[in-house]
Amino acid sequence: MSLLDKLLILSLLTVVLALFMGNRKMAGWSVTVVYAGQLVALWMMSGLGYGEISEIRSAVELTIWQYRLHWQFDALSWFFAFITVAAAMLASWFSAGGWAQAYREQGGSIRLFNVALALNVLGMLVLLASGELLSLFIGWELVSWATFMLLALGSMRYAMHYLVYAIVGAVVILAAMLMTYVQVGSLEFNQVAEAAAGLDNTSIWWIGGLFVIGFGIKMALLPFHLWQTKAYAATPGPGAAFLGAISSRMGLFAIVLILVKLIGISRLLEMPISFTFLSARDLLAWVAVFTIIFPTLTALRQHDARRLLAWHGIGQGGYMLLGIVVADDLGSAGGLMHVFNHATYQAVLFMSVTAVVYRTGTSDLNKLGGLFTRMPLSFLAMLIGIIGLAGLPPMNGFVSKWLVYRSLIIDGSPMLFLGTVIGTLGTILSVYKLIHNTFLGQLRLEHETVEEAPLSMVLPMMLLSAVIFTTGFFPGLVLGWVASVQAAVGLPVLAYHAGGIDSANGGLDMIWVVSVLLAGFAIATLIFFSGGRSRRVHQLDNYAGGHFLTADTRYQYSDNFYPGLMHLIGPWYRSSFKRMEQGLVSMLDFLSMLASGWHRHGHPSFYLLTLVVVVLFTVVM
Amino acid sequence: MKRKDISIPVEQPKRSNPLANVFDELMDFCRSRSMFMLHYCTGCGAIELPPAMTSRFDMERLGIQPMVTPRQADILLITGYVSIKTLKRVIMTYEQMASPKYVVGICSCTVNGGMYWQSYATAKVLKDYLPVDIYIAGCMPRPEAVIEGLRELMSDIKQGKANSWQRYYKNYDYYLGNQQKLFGDNWQTPTDIIAEARHYNLISEQTEGKHTAVLQQHQKPLEAFEARLKHQQGQAREQ
Repeated sequence: MSLLDKLLILSLLTVVLALFMGNRKMAGWSVTVVYAGQLVALWMMSGLGYGEISEIRSAVELTIWQYRLHWQFDALSWFFAFITVAAAMLASWFSAGGWAQAYREQGGSIRLFNVALALNVLGMLVLLASGELLSLFIGWELVSWATFMLLALGSMRYAMHYLVYAIVGAVVILAAMLMTYVQVGSLEFNQVAEAAAGLDNTSIWWIGGLFVIGFGIKMALLPFHLWQTKAYAATPGPGAAFLGAISSRMGLFAIVLILVKLIGISRLLEMPISFTFLSARDLLAWVAVFTIIFPTLTALRQHDARRLLAWHGIGQGGYMLLGIVVADDLGSAGGLMHVFNHATYQAVLFMSVTAVVYRTGTSDLNKLGGLFTRMPLSFLAMLIGIIGLAGLPPMNGFVSKWLVYRSLIIDGSPMLFLGTVIGTLGTILSVYKLIHNTFLGQLRLEHETVEEAPLSMVLPMMLLSAVIFTTGFFPGLVLGWVASVQAAVGLPVLAYHAGGIDSANGGLDMIWVVSVLLAGFAIATLIFFSGGRSRRVHQLDNYAGGHFLTADTRYQYSDNFYPGLMHLIGPWYRSSFKRMEQGLVSMLDFLSMLASGWHRHGHPSFYLLTLVVVVLFTVVM
Repeated sequence: MKRKDISIPVEQPKRSNPLANVFDELMDFCRSRSMFMLHYCTGCGAIELPPAMTSRFDMERLGIQPMVTPRQADILLITGYVSIKTLKRVIMTYEQMASPKYVVGICSCTVNGGMYWQSYATAKVLKDYLPVDIYIAGCMPRPEAVIEGLRELMSDIKQGKANSWQRYYKNYDYYLGNQQKLFGDNWQTPTDIIAEARHYNLISEQTEGKHTAVLQQHQKPLEAFEARLKHQQGQAREQ
């Protein structure tokens, strides 16, 4: 029995424990402890993450019709698994105290929530441990259904929406697997990788294309992204934090596995698209860039904090895919590191928003404001989170985005670079809207008595904030794991040090960057405190064209944010993707109507006769 | 256009550190060279400001620039007659400005009521309600005169003479009394001047008196929001 088996058994135990503990007060805490145990088990496998061991195999093997199913962990799996379990532990910790009580009082079932979360983790671990394509598919289905369970706790309607997409994705993946099996005769990774070099371009187009579509649906690549926002936003807060942090990245994991490990990005370059100058890799890069731009700009329009974040979750996935598709040492490191970074800040942002919802009962950005004085720690968490999300120093998001930008410049793709910059601009604008409308500005009368979220919610947020800052200060902590992942999947390996990277064309040393930044803050602090005595004034002691303000006057606007920008880009929001989806649905409706007409109003005797004639004909011939 | 010396002598505390005055002089010099101006355009004098600010006379070469909010502004420019209704806003705006702050009254109306002397609705003499640093007389003064007046203010600041803002704290009772005469005893602005005077250590015997006693009978002080974790019931604003 290897460590991997122990981890999976522990994960299974978590599910059982969550079932057994039910709605008890200690349910969340006990589950959190077991997640911590899983994390310890993963840490014992950290040799994978540091490139000391290449793989850990599971002792369990199944043989069905001479087909051998087996499971194993390598650096790539370990990297994703570590993020998954850490995210689950913090989400569970966050949910265990006051939140669980409030959820129970609102009629929610903590048992269902805990079980759904634990099942998600189990499914993801099984998926990450898959040793060939069939076990990958099994893990994939486990994850899909577990995600459905968690989403259904929020809104059944949006969960069903997701399910339709997930089933389509699964069918597409199955088709791709069948094609692979027909072409290669095996589903083992190394055999597929060997055979892929000998396959013609058409087969690779079909197999790779179908796989990318199938896994891209989970990752919410354009144009398959419509299911994600509403579903994630409606999920109970800690669940949304977990899903937003890592769930969609399973799609990325599978895409890395297929495109990088099995097919190879360099192969994509040899696959031109007729009548254009583009190759398959460029196509994928552009899909990634549009996945950055459109959802990020859509996030600008949201007035619900959770939807705003969920749209960003889609957009940030584009950076990861883009970095990996560029496939040099900087880009792929940036893409992979962004998985970690995104998990940290997306979780903390969802947690902060959930804390606000817990205290005020709303996540509507038009109904909040001025909460900084009431929830300063949640504000701090959100501040650190949005700096990470916007990709500014000194937080970790800066490092991964810098790596992606750098690789695009070195790669000679100025237009792709421009796309990412537009995406970043949209990100900065919308996260400012998020923190401004929630924590800054005028405090509402009804929020006068609001308090900071309980310690059980604040501590995970603070912990994550510390991680965001630390891995921004010493990116080498994460880049070490990333370099092993690169080595494991056959990408060029990044040369890194504790502060960042050395490169002939200009490296990055975050220790310097952050130190200079902090020194600037120190100077500003000195100037501030060496000046005269300052005095706090009340918010209503404010200038409003000489008017006297009262507490019931709204003098700070939050609705219709960025009207100037919206005037410019507003006409571009045409819901084209929604219309496309509706078109597909009505086409399907029409076809099924035809089929049902054929089935109901046809003549069974005629069919039977035809069938008999055909059979007789076959036999006679 | 000469400044009338109406100032009540202000005692400067003796400093033991000889370098302290050097620093103060440096600060005064810098202050005089960089001023944000909030122009409260009340009357006809406002029309003289655009040419004074823009390329023809170009106030900005003196380091004077318009500012949109009182919190960041140094100069409050009153450009004409102040009706009683306007005066309330002017006082409130003045109190919101951060010290050191300077008031410039432009046009005769701010000096003595000017052509609105007989109006029942205007406040005649601005310095009864706010400590004025510089008057620029004229009906209306030309941009040259405005610039000249502002240069006068600059030299006053450089010499450390323009500290009328301290008078507002030290003689608050006098100013409040005049304000109450116009607006009635219910008059109150959001800013708590007495608390501020205490905070900045600018309190004197004339800060509080019978007029401030009237104010304190009905005053509801606004307590600032502090960042805090627990909400304490019954604290702060509800009292």
